[in-house]
Amino acid sequence: MDKQLIRTAYIKYWLENGKRPISVFAFCQQLETPESGFYELYSSFDAVEKDIWRSFFEETIEKLKEDDTYRNYSAREKLLAFYFLWVQQLRENRSYILLQKEKYLVPPMHLDRLEAFRIAFYEYIRELIKEAYTTGEVKERKFISDQYVHGFWLQALFVLQYWVKDDSDRFEMTDAAIEKAVNLSFQLISSNTLDSILDFGKFVFARK
Amino acid sequence: MKEQTSIPTGKVERASKFVATGLKVGTNYLKHYTKKLIDPATTRDELHADNAEDIYDALSGLKGSALKVAQMLSMDKGMLPKAYTERFAMSQYSAPPLSGPLVVNTFLKTLGKSPAQLYDKFEMQASNAASIGQVHKAVKDGNELAVKIQYPGVANSVKSDLRLVKPFAIRIVGMNEVDMDKYFDEIEGKLLEETDYKLELRRSMEVSAQCAHIPNLVFPGYYPGLSSDRIITMDWLQGYHLKEFLQRDPSQEARDKIGQALWDFYQYQVHVLRKVHADPHPGNFLMRDDGTVGVFDFGCIKEIPGDFYVNYFLLTNREVLKDEARRREIYTQLEMIHPTDTEKEITFFSELFQKMIDMLTLPFRREQFDFGDESYFNEIYAYMDYLYNLKEVRESKVARGSRHSLYVNRTYFGLYSILSDLKAKVITSEQLYQLDQHGMPMRDAYERTIPANRDGL
Repeated sequence: MDKQLIRTAYIKYWLENGKRPISVFAFCQQLETPESGFYELYSSFDAVEKDIWRSFFEETIEKLKEDDTYRNYSAREKLLAFYFLWVQQLRENRSYILLQKEKYLVPPMHLDRLEAFRIAFYEYIRELIKEAYTTGEVKERKFISDQYVHGFWLQALFVLQYWVKDDSDRFEMTDAAIEKAVNLSFQLISSNTLDSILDFGKFVFARK
Repeated sequence: MKEQTSIPTGKVERASKFVATGLKVGTNYLKHYTKKLIDPATTRDELHADNAEDIYDALSGLKGSALKVAQMLSMDKGMLPKAYTERFAMSQYSAPPLSGPLVVNTFLKTLGKSPAQLYDKFEMQASNAASIGQVHKAVKDGNELAVKIQYPGVANSVKSDLRLVKPFAIRIVGMNEVDMDKYFDEIEGKLLEETDYKLELRRSMEVSAQCAHIPNLVFPGYYPGLSSDRIITMDWLQGYHLKEFLQRDPSQEARDKIGQALWDFYQYQVHVLRKVHADPHPGNFLMRDDGTVGVFDFGCIKEIPGDFYVNYFLLTNREVLKDEARRREIYTQLEMIHPTDTEKEITFFSELFQKMIDMLTLPFRREQFDFGDESYFNEIYAYMDYLYNLKEVRESKVARGSRHSLYVNRTYFGLYSILSDLKAKVITSEQLYQLDQHGMPMRDAYERTIPANRDGL
């Protein structure tokens, strides 16, 4: 019994039933494993859900790390590559995510479920920003620089929300949104911004 | 889908790390087409000067399809008020180029492989812009290729972009709502077609094959195996766009050769194929010093319906024009006059349209035509301006001119502009396109006079 197995089984249960198992006991019975086995790895279903979100992120990062081209990208390009791959990862679990929608799109809720993901994401972004200082893509601005991570987290939430509502072919509109959002954010923290703001604003405004 | 992960380094050149450096992607054809326009009346100028600023600002925020619409409408009406054209002329419309990761993403999503897997060399930095995408240079098995990649989300944006531009079209061009709906349907249809690269690929291969016999035209080879509905791959053609070509001070001989090739190409499409490469702007042609011209970008092809064609070109036939009743019938078919018009209106509009058609088809009715003739074009612009300032035209309660005329006029207008810039002397002999009394072209005559082969090309 490992975490991966539990996560997979949990997602499967959701997909087939549209809600979480009645109890850990019932869930474990299905898995033919003792309850204690579950509790060694997770403390609750909430913990499993948090870990599922984290795993979407981690699996993306693992794949990126193996990619030579990714290693040679600038910070901005790395973030773009991350998002494109991340939504592909999410796509494989789209049904599960859509079923869970209320849980993480309603503001107070999402902070809870996405917490493990958020912590991992922050770490990733901090590294990326440090790198961006050295490449010159981002200016280190005392006191303000610390806030960049929060901005990028909001961006990740924006991408997630956009993708959930996206019904375009091959989620093409999400790709466009990612491109524009990331370009905008990097421009905001470097210099000239007006074109991107208009482009992004018009894009979002004209979406309907 | 299993994600491709490791890519051998060295194959994929690094793109710039900053957004929007280098390449200014976007079209500037409004500038090209409006530079020759003449002054409208002073009062109108003053009126438009105030509006120009904010309309321009709003329009410059509209990329892609919205911009194309403004372009199309301005061309169909013949002109924009001068205050607008000056503002537009000062700008370059730009959208940031696709990022490297997005290019890779598009390849993976639509072809299942990354650029590095498909090519020996692939330039991540685009070499130039296409209307709704950008072009990259690649090398495969020693051949240089041009890879056109579409911006994601364009097809989706077409509808919303058009909705945004409608109010501006009404204000700028002075079109009324009745005209709007008719033309917008046509435009929307065409723009959506342009986003379907699979369709474009098929058409490109078809038209290239069908027009291969026309002298001095060069078509690139296409690669269906390396193309998808967002990517088109073709041979890389050498050559210059019109502006750069003219800066090289080409010989009159080269200009005439190219002009002739373009003229023959378009006439063949209109009269024989009944399908036109309906976007003849300088970006679609690569001109070479030896007088040959490369043609690509078949995104916008207009099929000319048989009945429209017959009627339209019958109006160039002297015999037909002498017959008053026949003329009226044709004008009605072409929706230039309506059954609800008064006798006065019929006479008025008939004269109007006939004069316009006479002017536009003047080159056809000569053996040879010198497109460097400024006075000819000035006359056209002057007449167009007069036409669209006329109270009767602006206040007309019905839309005039069938929707097909939008594209056909645009095609000729675009072609003439290019030929005029080239100052080419072209053999436009009427014989080749003569229509019999039923309005059918004497195609055999045409086909026999064009040489069957083009050696060395």
